[in-house]
Amino acid sequence: MGSVGLTLPWEHKLSSVERNGERRVEPFQEKAETLGISEETPQDAAVAAACLSGNLQGYERLYRWQGTRMKNLARNLLGSQADAEDAVQETFLKIQRSISGFRGQSSFVTWTFRILVNTCHDLRRSRVRRKEQVKDDLDALPPRKELRAPGAHPSLRMALERALKRLTAHQRDVFLLYEVEGFRHAEIAGMLEISETASKNTLFQAKKNLRAMMEPPRSSATRGAQ
Amino acid sequence: MNINCDDRERILLDGSPEEWAALELHAYACAVCAEELRSWKQLSASAGELRDYQESPALWARIESSLRQQQAAPAPRKGYWSPLDFLRHISPLWQSALVGALVVTLALSSGYLYTRRPVSSVNQGNTLLKTGALAEVERAEREYMSAIDKLAADAGPQLNADIPLMSNYREKLLVLDSAIADLRLQAGENPSNAHLRYQLLAMYQEKQQTLQDVLETKR
Repeated sequence: MGSVGLTLPWEHKLSSVERNGERRVEPFQEKAETLGISEETPQDAAVAAACLSGNLQGYERLYRWQGTRMKNLARNLLGSQADAEDAVQETFLKIQRSISGFRGQSSFVTWTFRILVNTCHDLRRSRVRRKEQVKDDLDALPPRKELRAPGAHPSLRMALERALKRLTAHQRDVFLLYEVEGFRHAEIAGMLEISETASKNTLFQAKKNLRAMMEPPRSSATRGAQ
Repeated sequence: MNINCDDRERILLDGSPEEWAALELHAYACAVCAEELRSWKQLSASAGELRDYQESPALWARIESSLRQQQAAPAPRKGYWSPLDFLRHISPLWQSALVGALVVTLALSSGYLYTRRPVSSVNQGNTLLKTGALAEVERAEREYMSAIDKLAADAGPQLNADIPLMSNYREKLLVLDSAIADLRLQAGENPSNAHLRYQLLAMYQEKQQTLQDVLETKR
């Protein structure tokens, strides 16, 4: 049985994007291009320099470049658009306060997303503390409609969101940063202050857990084959 | 590249592109691996559902406004430890080394100061005469000297006798006068030294006793 010319049933070809020495093995060709991260090093340095100079245009460039991506990650971490916008705003304020401490040991984007992830965790913790106090008020409000990407599959998305909530915070961070935002393990390691190997292991565990939560029970025929 | 089912997990965890390609080839002939690979990729595809890069038109205006406010606000007052802010930019290893060097420097300085402190403050601390006591001692000493001088005047004719015994007494008194003169000189330089005063008193007592012996001989 020859394999030449055959296509796999899921129609996703293997692609790899080599950036800064790390080859990212991805099943989706469009990911890196869509996220616009293949040429980020010169722009990264330019935006960092602009922000360091104290000019607000530098921050605007950072927002135009990474703002939607930051907001998307924050929304997936916090679960609401309003909280995500608060987190992005707070992240920019923190960047402005601590930009003088940026020494270029990681890329500016990595540094920015590290602040964002920490800000989201802080907001999440404070929200949990507040939750008990305002629980009754929230129950009285109508459910908030969240904006959804055009063409998104609502049931699949909801199932994934539900499953993500059951992961550990660490697994959720790594999964979202790698699979959704398209960061490399080296970048994620810098953001979460872990090793690359830990990032890979965490992603593997996260995907195994998600698959177990989302997949229907396998057929007896498949089980028999195992 | 030969791949079998046992390699699947390792490749899913951290496989190279070549290993992934080999796993896909293997999946054509292996239903279990095909199913695993399908669901693994399906999960990655589903992650795309969580990608929503719509603009929030008002967000940048909000951020810009808060950035301007923060920029215009006066800088927070520098704290007591702000001179040590530079330490934040030094690695923990170097911070530890700096602290260690500081501790060693302090220990050496303390040791040096301890060993170089004035000895008199330790040995003579309890033998120093205070001002009032010193005046009383000097007054008593003057009276004692005066009394001994009178005694010497009484013993003078006897001492001048030309006999060997008196010659010995004269020599002894010369030695005692010489010792008293030395001690008074030292006491003049260090008047608060009680130890010198005691030695001086002993000399005076010895001179008094010698003169009494001379007078006894006359009787």
